[in-house]
Amino acid sequence: MEPIIKVENFTFYYPDSQAPALEGINLTVREGEFLGLTGPAGAGKTTLALALNGIIPNFQGGRMGGKVMVAGLDTAKTPCARLAGVIGSVFQDPEAQLVAEVVEDELAFGLENLAVSREEIQRRIGAALEMVGIASLRHRSLRELSGGQKQKVAIAAAVALRPRVLVLDEPTSELDPQGTVEIVALLQRLNRDYGITILLIEQKISVLAPRVPRLVCLNKGRIVADASPRQILAQEKLTTELGLEVPPVTALFRMLRRAGVYQGDLPLEVDEGQRELGRLLGSRASRA
Amino acid sequence: MPGKSFLHKLNPLTKVVWSLAVITLAFVYQQPLPILSLWASVLAVALIGKVLREILPAIRGLIIFAAIFFLFQVFLIDEGQVVFTLVPGTGIGRITDVGLKACTMLALRMLAMTSTIPVLLATTPPKDMIVAFVEKLKVPYVYALMLVTSLRFIPTLQEELSLVIQAQRARAYDLEGRNIIKRFLALIPLALPLLLMSVQRARTMAISMETRAFGAGPRTSLHTSTFQLLDIGVISSCLLLTAVLAVVSLH
Amino acid sequence: MIRAENIHFTYPNGFQALKGLSFHIKAGEFVAVIGQNGAGKTTLLKLLNGLLKPTAGRILIGGLDTARARVAELARKVGFLFQNPDHQIFLPTVREELAFGPKNLGLKGAVLEDRVKDAAAAVGLTPYLDFNPRQLSKGQRQRVALASVLAMQPEVLVLDEPTTGQDYREALEIMRLVKKLHQQGHTVLLVSHDMEMVARFAGRALVLGEGQLLLDGPVATVFAREDVLAATGLVPPQVIQLARPYQEQGLLRPVLTVEELYAEIIAALRGEVDARQVLPA
Repeated sequence: MEPIIKVENFTFYYPDSQAPALEGINLTVREGEFLGLTGPAGAGKTTLALALNGIIPNFQGGRMGGKVMVAGLDTAKTPCARLAGVIGSVFQDPEAQLVAEVVEDELAFGLENLAVSREEIQRRIGAALEMVGIASLRHRSLRELSGGQKQKVAIAAAVALRPRVLVLDEPTSELDPQGTVEIVALLQRLNRDYGITILLIEQKISVLAPRVPRLVCLNKGRIVADASPRQILAQEKLTTELGLEVPPVTALFRMLRRAGVYQGDLPLEVDEGQRELGRLLGSRASRA
Repeated sequence: MPGKSFLHKLNPLTKVVWSLAVITLAFVYQQPLPILSLWASVLAVALIGKVLREILPAIRGLIIFAAIFFLFQVFLIDEGQVVFTLVPGTGIGRITDVGLKACTMLALRMLAMTSTIPVLLATTPPKDMIVAFVEKLKVPYVYALMLVTSLRFIPTLQEELSLVIQAQRARAYDLEGRNIIKRFLALIPLALPLLLMSVQRARTMAISMETRAFGAGPRTSLHTSTFQLLDIGVISSCLLLTAVLAVVSLH
Repeated sequence: MIRAENIHFTYPNGFQALKGLSFHIKAGEFVAVIGQNGAGKTTLLKLLNGLLKPTAGRILIGGLDTARARVAELARKVGFLFQNPDHQIFLPTVREELAFGPKNLGLKGAVLEDRVKDAAAAVGLTPYLDFNPRQLSKGQRQRVALASVLAMQPEVLVLDEPTTGQDYREALEIMRLVKKLHQQGHTVLLVSHDMEMVARFAGRALVLGEGQLLLDGPVATVFAREDVLAATGLVPPQVIQLARPYQEQGLLRPVLTVEELYAEIIAALRGEVDARQVLPA
């Protein structure tokens, strides 16, 4: 099957910039995947997101090479408006990406732009709110919502356009731990229940690692790793070089492994870690 | 807000027509008493529309504004008989009968004309106003959208300003105890971060709109602006009444 | 150094944000304030910097009543670092940005220059003094913000979610700087929802919930009260969650950091062997 995202040898320079923001990027994502994308600030994560939804080069110009294909469309040759029905985008700042006053109108915005009929807009708004689990917020003013709720509205507004791919650029960066977990869990649900391909740019590896099967690491405009979070977190040199957050439970078992007292898989979350610790400490502790 | 009273149910443009009718009559009438009753009729409409209490602070503001306007003007007219002098024997602060009458008229006229605005705002969500303007008056959607998004950003900016003030205060920045020019210059540390952040925000918003097919071509609208029977009734009676009252008054 | 005496705060709309808060922070402490959104953290901060005045009670910082102190007096005593450096940065160079605070305090000439140089050196920004702060990364801009506060040489540092929106490396860097400043004698009050950072850096924690002080004590003691934390929607750090069942069985002693837990596990596995010998460098 044709991959839903295919980035081929993509290079991009912002105007007036000597150094490339992205260089020689090759990335293939199959439909239905849930992909985490991480890396230090300035690694090129946002640039990649903007290349996928066509903002680069349609809205943000620059020198580029290579090709970005999403659902068979060349993003450089397809107007953003056309791509909008294929790939949905959510950004970091919950405040700046919302245009309306009322939740319902925010969801309507994209549909109206695509000249969807009024009845269909109503139906799609209902469906999108249901999918995201915020049906009760439909007539609420955006002003009254928390940051986490606003991000859910942004996700619902993207989902209303029935995209096959969602790309989210650090949607949790301004949220508290609870809000962060809720958003990532919601994305998992959208991926599992509706088959939406998800590309989540995220710094909070403790939340991300247990929930994504595949993690791509960018550094200085290049992809430096593309594997399961377990494999990536096992590479101490890599995580140190990128300054990646290593979940404390993973860090602990990495140390135990190095000391030669642990041979199993690296746990990524507390439950897993507790089980492994119980095994390690012997039967007396098996209660856990 | 919708459905609270017949005023809320009216099409925004119907209310605009009503405002225009009030303005027309305010110009037609040349006597204080009819204008006073015109003003009273505006307040009566607000009362029936169940928003009188809500708009009272605004009305109070308009009265104060009209009073200040009156005071500024009333001393400037020299014609007619002097009825009052502020500093007796000097001619400073003279008020004449002609001036008194003209300025009373002006102030009342202004009051009657402007009082429809709070009624309009209190019974119409901005969104409805915009839909009406776009659909019925063919105002380009982009301008209408600009208005809505700027309205939406006001509370955000207020919140942001409070954060900027906190941050600058923490650096011993103090607005108190400066003269007016310095105080004006001293606004820079507050205004500049706010401005720079807004530019960033605007860019994000533009990108967010772009990824949702903004400007794709002809668009539809979830909400629609319709004229009900009630609207047609209100508009025709407004027009008829204004015409009749105007003709009667001019003869 | 910071004393809160039964402070209450009610917003004009009737919302009671703080309902009788008392605590005392001594000079040289590193205290974290934790709690959910809406617990009253933001209000407490605004009371600390004198932007709001308590409806009842008072807050003293180094003897100054924050509701009455002049802005400059307060700024000399307490340095505030907020979430977003962009709320304060507005000058064309880092140097000018760092000089802004001390200038407001009336400093000039060589003294001012020294303050700027020292502050830049303290956060490792000396090479960037003539850069436009807008060209720096968010983490670097946050360091500019921190330095611009340090340039006023405050005794107390109050930090409001100083690592939000930064990548992990930058966040850690800011926290390491704060730790260094604490070791140099600054009193630190950190408002945060990052429990890992709190466990790693703070000595004492105050837990706020619905405008009240729910817990106040050493970080280890506070994080042991899982019941209270859960009731306010807080999750203790991973290390503490991991170790809890085995601690209860007496297999491990209480720990706060990964390194400590590692040492405990090794000790438990090897019995009498001193775990510290196998600690990696």
